[in-house]
Amino acid sequence: MIEITNVSYSYSNIPALKNISLNILKGESVTLMGANGCGKSTLLKLISGIITPDSGSYKYHGEEITEKKLRDSKFSKLFHQKIGFVFQNSQTQLFCPEVYDEIAFGPRQMGIDEAEVENRVKDCLKLLDIEGLKYRAPYHLSEGEKRKVAIACVLSLNPEVLVLDEPLNGLDPRTQRWLVEFLINFNKSGKTLIISTHNLEFLQEISSRAILFNEDHSIAADMAMENILEDIDLLKKVNLIDEYYHKHVGNKHSHFHLHNY
Amino acid sequence: MTEKDIPEWLLKNENYFPQSDKDTFINKSITSLLGVLSHIRRQSGHKTDLFGINATFSVIFTILFIILLSVSRSLFFVITANIYLLLILCLLKGEDIMVILKTSFGVAAFTFIILLPTALYGNFYSITMITPKIFASVTAINILSRTNRWDSIISALKTFFIPDIFILVLDVTIMYIVLLGEFSLDMLYALKLRSVGKNKSKQASLSGIVGTMFIKSKEMAEDTYAAMRCRGFTGEYHTYRKFKFSFVDSLYIIANAIIILCFIYFGRYFRK
Repeated sequence: MIEITNVSYSYSNIPALKNISLNILKGESVTLMGANGCGKSTLLKLISGIITPDSGSYKYHGEEITEKKLRDSKFSKLFHQKIGFVFQNSQTQLFCPEVYDEIAFGPRQMGIDEAEVENRVKDCLKLLDIEGLKYRAPYHLSEGEKRKVAIACVLSLNPEVLVLDEPLNGLDPRTQRWLVEFLINFNKSGKTLIISTHNLEFLQEISSRAILFNEDHSIAADMAMENILEDIDLLKKVNLIDEYYHKHVGNKHSHFHLHNY
Repeated sequence: MTEKDIPEWLLKNENYFPQSDKDTFINKSITSLLGVLSHIRRQSGHKTDLFGINATFSVIFTILFIILLSVSRSLFFVITANIYLLLILCLLKGEDIMVILKTSFGVAAFTFIILLPTALYGNFYSITMITPKIFASVTAINILSRTNRWDSIISALKTFFIPDIFILVLDVTIMYIVLLGEFSLDMLYALKLRSVGKNKSKQASLSGIVGTMFIKSKEMAEDTYAAMRCRGFTGEYHTYRKFKFSFVDSLYIIANAIIILCFIYFGRYFRK
């Protein structure tokens, strides 16, 4: 479904992606892993059509996504409906006066009749367990609530692919657990899931496949999640784990420590 | 939540054909914001100022240069000043030269058009003097802005006895232009990604973005003030900077001294 071939991208001559190639199949759940600033968010922006590659190609359902095509209003709208993107900072995604309007924004634009829009909004509110926030102003919500509203307003578009940038960041443990369960079930329903994170705690539950980024913005490994999490040298090399020493009953030994693990 | 809780419509493929709509405003806003942010990023990426010249000298001589230009009545001096600036321009990167000349020619052309009626009434002095003066002044300011980091220019203001607290405000302003610019850019991206059909009330979405930006800036201002107080800020702020003088600075001073001498000489012997 998603084919990325030899893609490179840079911000004002500062490289963000170097020669990236990967394929993502329909219904897959893929996690992009890597240290801060390695290019995960840039790749997600590229997949969502916010930016286009400097070199290489990006194809969605066999059709190449180029800047020229994204300038075509109809193509761009259809493409953005298919791929839903949840930003790292949920607040940037919310601009309507009430949560209800926020979730209804997309379906209303799609020309869906108001009864169906109401139905979708109700379903999304229930699915994300935020029925109580229906008439609240988005900017007064907590970080976890904002994240849920941001996901709900993307889901109401019924995208084929859900892209989430660092979805677990800044959430309390209970909301993190809730979101993990939600993503697992959402993926089981047949939707494609692409997330980025440097939080290794829940990865094995969410995704079966991991794409590991080097700090030089290239891909270090693309393999099954369980294999990657066992490859301590590789995780150490890409700066996802660190080593520290402590003493147990006078014996000094070293062991590996996963961030947030 | 379980898999069964997922509503039926979310399990089906969306059979959707979008209507075309005008998104020019969102796209133009994104492009212009990106332009400002990448310019600031590029500036902060500069390791040193132009040729390593102390920004204090650049600021002093640029202001002096503009004053001399404006009071000069000698066309020879104005031409010399323009030649001097064009020589400096030759030493810059192609991209910088393009941007500077584009602005300078634009402003000079506008001045020329405004003064054209005076020329038609026989007053050629204004058009021949003011147009090159404007061209040189805009070029000088642009060279200063494109070749010096903004933080260097701001700290150079201390030389002119500008209060430290005002320098702090300018520093913080640039920081907020970047932070709020990046935030508003993300909001515009989000609006673009969710604008998947015909938006009948674009103004409402944009006013929502402006409102959120206002709240965000208020929160950030309060947080910054609280953080400053936690670090001992009581209303007084002191800026410190190291003064460096290099060989390049002495060359720059000599070049500007020659320009000042030209001003005196041409002013005395080649008036008009």
